[in-house]
Amino acid sequence: MIRKLGQFFRLYFFQAWFSYRSLFAWSTPFSYMTSKFGFPFFSMLYFVFIGKFVGFDNPEFIVIGNILLMPSINGLYGISMTIGDERQFGAMSYLLASPAARAPLFLGRAFFHIIDGFITVLVALPIAILFFGLGFSGINLLLLALCLILLSITTTGLGFIMGTISLVSRDGWMFTNTLGQLLFILIGVNIPVDKLPAFLQPISNYLPMTRGILAARQVLDGARWLDVSGLLGGEILVGLVYILIGYTLFRLIERASMTTGSLDSI
Amino acid sequence: MGNFLRLALRQMDVQLRMRVLSLWSLGLFFTQPAIFSAVGMLLAHAAGNANPDLIYTVIGGGIMGMWSGLVFTSTFDIRADRREGTLELIVGSPTPLRRVVGFRSLLNILAGSTSMLAAVTAAVLIFDYSFAGINVPAVILSFALLLFGLWCMGIFLANLLAWSRLSGTFVDLLEMPIALLCGFMYPISVLPSWMQYISVVFPIRWSLQAMREAMRGTAANAELLSLWGISLGISLVFYLFSHWLDVKVHDHIRVTGELHSI
Repeated sequence: MIRKLGQFFRLYFFQAWFSYRSLFAWSTPFSYMTSKFGFPFFSMLYFVFIGKFVGFDNPEFIVIGNILLMPSINGLYGISMTIGDERQFGAMSYLLASPAARAPLFLGRAFFHIIDGFITVLVALPIAILFFGLGFSGINLLLLALCLILLSITTTGLGFIMGTISLVSRDGWMFTNTLGQLLFILIGVNIPVDKLPAFLQPISNYLPMTRGILAARQVLDGARWLDVSGLLGGEILVGLVYILIGYTLFRLIERASMTTGSLDSI
Repeated sequence: MGNFLRLALRQMDVQLRMRVLSLWSLGLFFTQPAIFSAVGMLLAHAAGNANPDLIYTVIGGGIMGMWSGLVFTSTFDIRADRREGTLELIVGSPTPLRRVVGFRSLLNILAGSTSMLAAVTAAVLIFDYSFAGINVPAVILSFALLLFGLWCMGIFLANLLAWSRLSGTFVDLLEMPIALLCGFMYPISVLPSWMQYISVVFPIRWSLQAMREAMRGTAANAELLSLWGISLGISLVFYLFSHWLDVKVHDHIRVTGELHSI
């Protein structure tokens, strides 16, 4: 039992490290930094100025929201690319033909993205807090860190699903990108969820990060554990459901490819 | 002339099939601008405005689609050529690189115009935007200058990528900053003054300003003329820079004697 567990975790971390390294192997530190901070920073400013023009007098809401969205660069785009590229680079057949257990193989792809996403938001958020003079007094930093790590984990569910879709569709990246941009609207990043049109609000409630972002905002406003525990519990539940859907989709597609004997066609 | 037109048609045909007609490009032309416009509209709604400003929020989204489409298709072309090994062949062929890039960028711009068309159609059909009171000839001229400015920036970026592999990361980063600095979805006056100073170097900032003035019905006065003049002048500077880069690429190959050195 212990030996099996050891094998599971060894495979998990091995996959985590190599899939992460291979994703950024081409990257210089500059391109890494720009891919992590460039688009989020400039799109955040863009939304701030749009907000200023239309009379939305709460730029902090947009800034904090966009920073809290940052883990999705790893969780959604990074993981989706990591999984989708297996097919593009012709590694899928070897991976599926290996006798390795599938759960650590698949889920391992998220580990370093979770850490990376967490560190990204950990760097960006204090800068924004200081920039807007919000101050750290009254903020439960441990609870805030919990919200951030939770956001980094739950966003991976979307990445697993989109990565699996990338295995069956050559245009998977386009779908991932579209979903990533829809998050600007749907999960309370730029617009409070209660200000969205009525037909969009139920969609928000079924998406990961919505509750996590709301909880993080409340913690930044001084909320305590009891105030946000319900939101965090909901976030965990939604995140787990998405991760489970992603893994199940992967297994279904894998099984279909085995049945047809065409590993490369997935 | 016949050869020139044949080359133009062939290049644009290949470009249309290989790059433009893909879900990725369509996403850049339509989905992304629609989402950004939606954010603008929802923010306006959250701020208590009953109706969004159509010129900035909706039509600005169309301009964003044109820019995003251009910046990615024009630069991805060169990268794809480099990856697939056709860049050396194009540079080595008797047809100048700038001509090939020019036709490709032209098609990218024309394809990107569908984003603008979609935005205007949405403004008319969904939001009852009226053309009454707009200065049509001035809008058309401003739009033509906008297209020319985008084209010049497109060939400049493509030549920059051909000249330097390292410029790729910098070019990737350009999409949002240009949209931000040129005020695609808000007036330039919203920006802090130091950002407004930076934005003067982009021709599309001026043609966009002229187009918006014309859409509000401004007559062709000295201000519009100066906006058109500045836009045209800066566009030509970008064109000359791209020509210079093209010469540098060819010089580099002549000096090293190796096509794959680019």
